[in-house]
Amino acid sequence: MAATSDEAGQGAGQAAAGQAQAAGRPRPSQRRVAQWMRDYARLPGIPDEYIGSEGPRAVWTRFFDAFAALSPAEIERRFGAADRHLREAGVTYHAPGEAAERLWPLSHLPLLIDEADWLQLSAGIVQRAELLELVLRDLYGEGRLIADGAIPAAAIAGSAEYLRPVCGVKPPGGRYLSLYAADVGRGPDGRWWVLSDRTQAPSGAGYALENRLVLSRAFASLYKSMNVERLAPFFEAFRDSLRASADRDEPRIGVLTPGSFSETYFEHATLARYLGFLLVEGDDLAVSGDRVHIRTVAGLKRLDVLLRRVDSNSLDPLELDASSHLGVPGLIDVLRKSGVVVANMPGSGVLEARALLGFLPSLCRRLLGEDLKMPHIATWWCGQKAAREEVLSRLDDFAIEGAYGRTVPGFASHGPVLASELSPSEREQLKAAIRDRGIDYAGQELVRLSTMPVWDHGRLAPRPFVLRVFAAATPDGWIMMPGGFCRIAEQLDARAVSMGDGARAADVWVVSDKEVSTRTLLPASDTVRIRRIAGVLPSRAADNLFWLGRYLERAEATLRLVRALGTHQRDAGEGAPGALQVAERIQRLLVAWGAASQNARMQPAKVAAEALQAEERFGSGLNLVRAAQRTATSLRERLSPDAWQVITEMAERLANEIEDDDGVISAAELTLQELASFAGLAQENMNRAAGWRFLEMGRRAERAINTTRFARQFAYDEASDEDLDTLLTLVDCQITYRSRYLLAPVLAPVRDLAVLDPYNPRSVAFQVQALNEHIASLPALKETGLIERPQRLAVALQSTLTTAEAASLDTKTLFGLEQDLLSLADAIGSHYFPHGPNASRPEKLTGLA
Amino acid sequence: MIYDIRHVTTYAYESAVSFARCTLRLEPLSGHGQRLMSHHVEIRPRPIERTMRRDFFGTLTESVVIEAPHRHLRIDSRSRVEVARKAPGRAVESPAWERIRDIAFGANSLGPASPIGYVFASPLVPVLTPITAYAAASFPPGGGILLGAVDFMHRIRTQFRYDAKATAISTPLKEVFENRHGVCQDFAHVMIAGLRGLGLPAAYVSGYLRTIPPPGQPRLEGADATHAWVSLWCGEALGWIGLDPTNDLLVENDHIMIAIGRDFSDVSPVDGIIVGSPKQKLNVAVDVLLVE
Repeated sequence: MAATSDEAGQGAGQAAAGQAQAAGRPRPSQRRVAQWMRDYARLPGIPDEYIGSEGPRAVWTRFFDAFAALSPAEIERRFGAADRHLREAGVTYHAPGEAAERLWPLSHLPLLIDEADWLQLSAGIVQRAELLELVLRDLYGEGRLIADGAIPAAAIAGSAEYLRPVCGVKPPGGRYLSLYAADVGRGPDGRWWVLSDRTQAPSGAGYALENRLVLSRAFASLYKSMNVERLAPFFEAFRDSLRASADRDEPRIGVLTPGSFSETYFEHATLARYLGFLLVEGDDLAVSGDRVHIRTVAGLKRLDVLLRRVDSNSLDPLELDASSHLGVPGLIDVLRKSGVVVANMPGSGVLEARALLGFLPSLCRRLLGEDLKMPHIATWWCGQKAAREEVLSRLDDFAIEGAYGRTVPGFASHGPVLASELSPSEREQLKAAIRDRGIDYAGQELVRLSTMPVWDHGRLAPRPFVLRVFAAATPDGWIMMPGGFCRIAEQLDARAVSMGDGARAADVWVVSDKEVSTRTLLPASDTVRIRRIAGVLPSRAADNLFWLGRYLERAEATLRLVRALGTHQRDAGEGAPGALQVAERIQRLLVAWGAASQNARMQPAKVAAEALQAEERFGSGLNLVRAAQRTATSLRERLSPDAWQVITEMAERLANEIEDDDGVISAAELTLQELASFAGLAQENMNRAAGWRFLEMGRRAERAINTTRFARQFAYDEASDEDLDTLLTLVDCQITYRSRYLLAPVLAPVRDLAVLDPYNPRSVAFQVQALNEHIASLPALKETGLIERPQRLAVALQSTLTTAEAASLDTKTLFGLEQDLLSLADAIGSHYFPHGPNASRPEKLTGLA
Repeated sequence: MIYDIRHVTTYAYESAVSFARCTLRLEPLSGHGQRLMSHHVEIRPRPIERTMRRDFFGTLTESVVIEAPHRHLRIDSRSRVEVARKAPGRAVESPAWERIRDIAFGANSLGPASPIGYVFASPLVPVLTPITAYAAASFPPGGGILLGAVDFMHRIRTQFRYDAKATAISTPLKEVFENRHGVCQDFAHVMIAGLRGLGLPAAYVSGYLRTIPPPGQPRLEGADATHAWVSLWCGEALGWIGLDPTNDLLVENDHIMIAIGRDFSDVSPVDGIIVGSPKQKLNVAVDVLLVE
């Protein structure tokens, strides 16, 4: 292997691979590596990860030699598999300002870092994390660094993240930073440089996890052979550390997310699921006494630790941004009383200000007694005279940044301003602003970052990248995530400063010379208390599960009608008056359910097509499945990837254009099969905890309502044979009926089978019985001992259905039954989800003028 | 001078409110030429929890939780305050404004009295180029800071129209400035924005103003209002000086201070959240009585 890589390496190193003096004919894989290297056009004057000044680096050579063993077709197949996995798992992000989720674009080649290089990088990051923690402790505590002039007050006071309400508040759990991230890049000197610090609520760790999952699956044996450090131990340690920060054993921990509109919502769900935390939004939480509680279907439950992905200023409308709806009123006061751990501590984002960077070297000497191990991008804060004059005198050599935030005061664009690209008047404006209010500006050196290979249609091409690395505080000190979140720029000439929004992501492999440990760090069995019920169910999740069940069931009923209408039209040749009536009745139902438009009536084929997939009909199969998909989005952390995949496939199929009437029937049929497979997944794979019960209750309630409606429409007092036959089809009871009665459909037996028969899993009675069982097994909220409303309604309904006789079940009774079922569904909603979408939210008191 | 102040805030809700969590900043401060003699707040319905602390700015802040269902909330605050301060003359000599700016930028404290806390944008007061340019007309190079500030205040008083209906708390400052109208709070915010744009440390003050009825007419009960003005740091010697742009006055003995902050959001007298009623009606009645 060494021989192979040397040959290939020298060939490319000289950029004249043709002269490779191979003994004998090179194998195809060697030829491929040689070809890739010949095509790999490094940028002049820019360091590259793959090929250094002395030729290809060993770790990359090892990788490409193994990679080239795969045929070009196989490589494309593996890349395709990776993309498919990303799509099916729904790995997405929201681009700011866009409503739709986008697929997370993954570059298929990982960034490789060898162990020695990584150790050096780690040492620098860990030191920095330690230093920043000490700086925060002083800033929000004693304030000696400011008093002594080690940090100018202005470098802190200008940051919107310097939170006065938390000054003097000791962080519960003992630390400000639990998770620290830094964006780093390799500078022209070959060293790693810090480009910016992330101390607020760093994102990317969850995506790194997902990227790893995808790539390690697509290239399983390559991954194994490369001795790549595993990510799991890092996350385990992080989780244990958050657990240890709480003031009781077995604490309840939540990931606080802004909600499913957040650009990184997928990641929040990933982290919650992976770490075993609850995914919560501000509305799910309430302050009561000295504690934060989560609203669950069993009432308020104490929450001990919040891993926040909501920015500090939005955390508490009472003490911070009053217009925020993302936070928890009273949260800061609970922090004051040490009643909850928030990671990272609100206010820690103050350290992201560029104004501070220049002071870190001396702070490091002062606080840690050593020099900074890792340089950061040279920054001149214009709040100080010497730096200001330096920047003004060489304006074109700098990227001008806001000293505290992403915007440059006075300039509309996000991100840095380059003086060389300004008009003469703008340039004068910038100079005047820096002279007058220099404290608001910083100049940063323009650095061109190193490049790494990406796969570009069968060739390798260099691209600049930024690497985000993560460190977690543990009781034994800081530990690094061996890997990271790498963003690759599409532009070749990207400067360090304009790399904020990378176009693609890549997995990061820290490669060891030795075999890596694959132990999972599972806790020893004697320290774990055995439990069979998994945690608490937040009201919002219960609400979403309930509606997921309802939407899917309603989609099923609608598609059954579509199928019945379609097959009816296809097979209608006889022209019997009864048949016409049946078609008319199906259409009437579809119109009443909002699945088809009134003016499509009398054109059954059009009604069927609309009901299947019309975008503009809220009740169409497509829109119901999409509603289910949206609801499922908020339940990501609770659904298995398989279940999510089934929903995605249904939505995709129904959105496809369909050519003819047969296409409508077959699309309805295929979707019905998928609905059945979702139901099967839920039945076979979901733990029988409260979550499953709410999904089931939604499904049962909706099915009971729809079956009653079917019965009213097709088993009315003067129903024809065709009507009754249709009902048996819609409720899937043809076979049962025929095996039981051996005769053509007759009103009373059909009604009995569809409505009253408790042994028929599609009858109304069966659904009501199931609802009763679920309600009875859920916790009672009030302690008055009185029967609660959902149960009262369900018990009453069940006794009505148990004692009713088919002969007396007329249209009017059916209508009454339908109303009772609707009330029951509402009662479940208002009882268990009082804070659901329709509930009253906290309002701000009007202020005075 | 000694004042008795009664400040009654009432909220009427359309439907029953089941929960309220409020923050009250109603206790007049001691210092800056005034002394609090007594203070008492009565709240109906009675809160289940009342806790007090001093916030970052030194304001007494009371956190209140009400769990009794209610349709009316009444917060009755009574204070007795002695005021004895002397305003500098409008034309008194003061340091050049650029010098104050440079001293402020170089401050080495983050404390509530440090000027550095008041030269940056704050939640309700952005630093906007047009307002800075507007303010700059009052500050020629090398001009005295107080002279400039008094001129700036005078221009706001004469060029802006007082209109109680034109703005709400949520009206952005940019709009207030473009339309040249608003209430005391808006005028204070505009003046603060202009001063900060020039790098001058300007704070927001909430408080009361004694109103003197026209000659021969009785003083109307509850006719007074809460008021807001600006406090500008004019260097170590002069310290913080109160300027009232609504009345074009340097603050003296008719003004009673409740709290100082960066803008209204730091000092809002009654703030909070309620659960249960989206519709609410607020009424504020203030009486400022001169005792002696």
